[in-house]
Amino acid sequence: MQHGLLILMCLIAVFPLYWMVNSSFKNESEIFTSSLVPSSPVLSNYTYAFEQMPIFRMMFNSFGVAILMTALQLITGLLAAYALVRWRFRGQLLIFSVLSLTWLIPFQAVMIPNYVLVNQMGMNESLLGIVLPFTVSTFAILSLYQSFQSFPKVLIEAASIDGLSDFNILVKLILPNIKSSVASLGIILFINGWNEYLWPMLVTKKMENAPLQIGLKLFVNSDTNMWGSLMAATTVSCLPILIIYLILQRQIVDSFVRFGIK
Amino acid sequence: MRRAKPFLYLLPALALLAVWMYRPLLYTFYLAFHKWSMVPGTEPLFVGLDNFARLLQNKGFLDSIGNTVLYTIGLLPFSIVIPLVLATVTHHMEGRMKNVYRALFFIPMILAPVSVSAIWRWLFHPSNGLVNIVLMKLGAIDAPIAFFSDPGWAKWIILLITGWKMVGFSTIMFAAALTGINREYYEAASQDGAGSLKQFFHITIPLMSPMIIFMLTMSILFSSQWTFAYIDILTTGGPYGTSTNIYYEMYKYAFSNLNAGFSSAAALLFFVVFGLISLGLNALSRKYSFYDN
Repeated sequence: MQHGLLILMCLIAVFPLYWMVNSSFKNESEIFTSSLVPSSPVLSNYTYAFEQMPIFRMMFNSFGVAILMTALQLITGLLAAYALVRWRFRGQLLIFSVLSLTWLIPFQAVMIPNYVLVNQMGMNESLLGIVLPFTVSTFAILSLYQSFQSFPKVLIEAASIDGLSDFNILVKLILPNIKSSVASLGIILFINGWNEYLWPMLVTKKMENAPLQIGLKLFVNSDTNMWGSLMAATTVSCLPILIIYLILQRQIVDSFVRFGIK
Repeated sequence: MRRAKPFLYLLPALALLAVWMYRPLLYTFYLAFHKWSMVPGTEPLFVGLDNFARLLQNKGFLDSIGNTVLYTIGLLPFSIVIPLVLATVTHHMEGRMKNVYRALFFIPMILAPVSVSAIWRWLFHPSNGLVNIVLMKLGAIDAPIAFFSDPGWAKWIILLITGWKMVGFSTIMFAAALTGINREYYEAASQDGAGSLKQFFHITIPLMSPMIIFMLTMSILFSSQWTFAYIDILTTGGPYGTSTNIYYEMYKYAFSNLNAGFSSAAALLFFVVFGLISLGLNALSRKYSFYDN
């Protein structure tokens, strides 16, 4: 009984993906049928999708954007969280509250001014234009702040007395000890960056400048009747993140448990 | 010099936030009282409270608030009820199957909204989608349903897709919280003759309340954010604005109607309301967060 329920739920979770892959290998005469396996699998949907879209180029853009965002958010986050844990200073509480509240600001509330600014800087249609507003994640700062707090203060004091500089305390003492937290957070930031939607859509209009998601959206809207190749393109767009999930499944689940989502 | 040190480390984050968060936020506040079409070289025109007055008389805006509430409440079964059951049922399992189930539930969560939309758009295709084919074969319907252009269906499909994506995440979160509950509670309850349903309501639910409230908060605060991409890709808010939400309206005011002031005024109104909601939720979670101590 229990397993029946769970298997049903698994089917609901995974079947749409199966249907995507299944459809992507069906030929034109079979695509509109409900057959669960393509009777004579074809690759033509894939070749068409790759002809119509610069898929590799867009995948490169996606990786570029996601990696750049993750790296910058980790760097700015580590420095800020370190400052908040390492020292007591005037205005600390204020800064902390402001950071906590910033987490709640929806991107839609700042999209117009940011759009205007990026256009003024001539950064539209560029990867940097996509990345710039996402160089700091208050979610990352607050998560790292939590991780830092579990690090024993006594060790920091001891290292400081031994003459280790403040920056080296962060890099050589704390970081190696909390690297699993940092890696977990990095995974979430990467997935967020990879899946980012609204802002890349505003910044890029051309497929070759866009991340995979935005290119796929343009393809969805342009060729609504080419369902086979649309599913082929969608399969390709899911592959990188699914492969990463397959390899890092445990860490990914752990990191979501540890940090939640934004 | 010593006193400047913390600020030196905070500088990159604060400076970038100032440019990309606080400055734009103030600018949005400013624009809310102006009329501006975002055309470079033109100046915003001061209109006072006009944007707000027109917004509150705008039927589309008011409808979008109704939908936002519907999505927020409608998502709760997917973010709380179903996951709580799934987490509890898998928790009592032994061995590998537990992890296999949970790993599979989680897959929708990591996929990009655009990919998810493309797949569901195909499944719900108005004439040849699998859902219509199956429903026709089962004899449940006589003619295919145009799910995304039917005012009665569009918003429910958006809700279903958003919910489908969320279930796995909440399940994992609840599963993690469950491992923190001391097994002795259950053993004691079993000895007192409490059945599993009774244990669920008298032990699991109360001890999980901090996590339940955390997920409730997440769900309420972010549900409008989560539905955004599906609305944009699948229905563009239609038909007749029946599936739109407040963020999507803000986006449309700005980038379809080129009315930055209107969009900013909506953002400002929304802020005030959501600020109050999150304060309330925060108070609620404080009240419950030390339950087990």
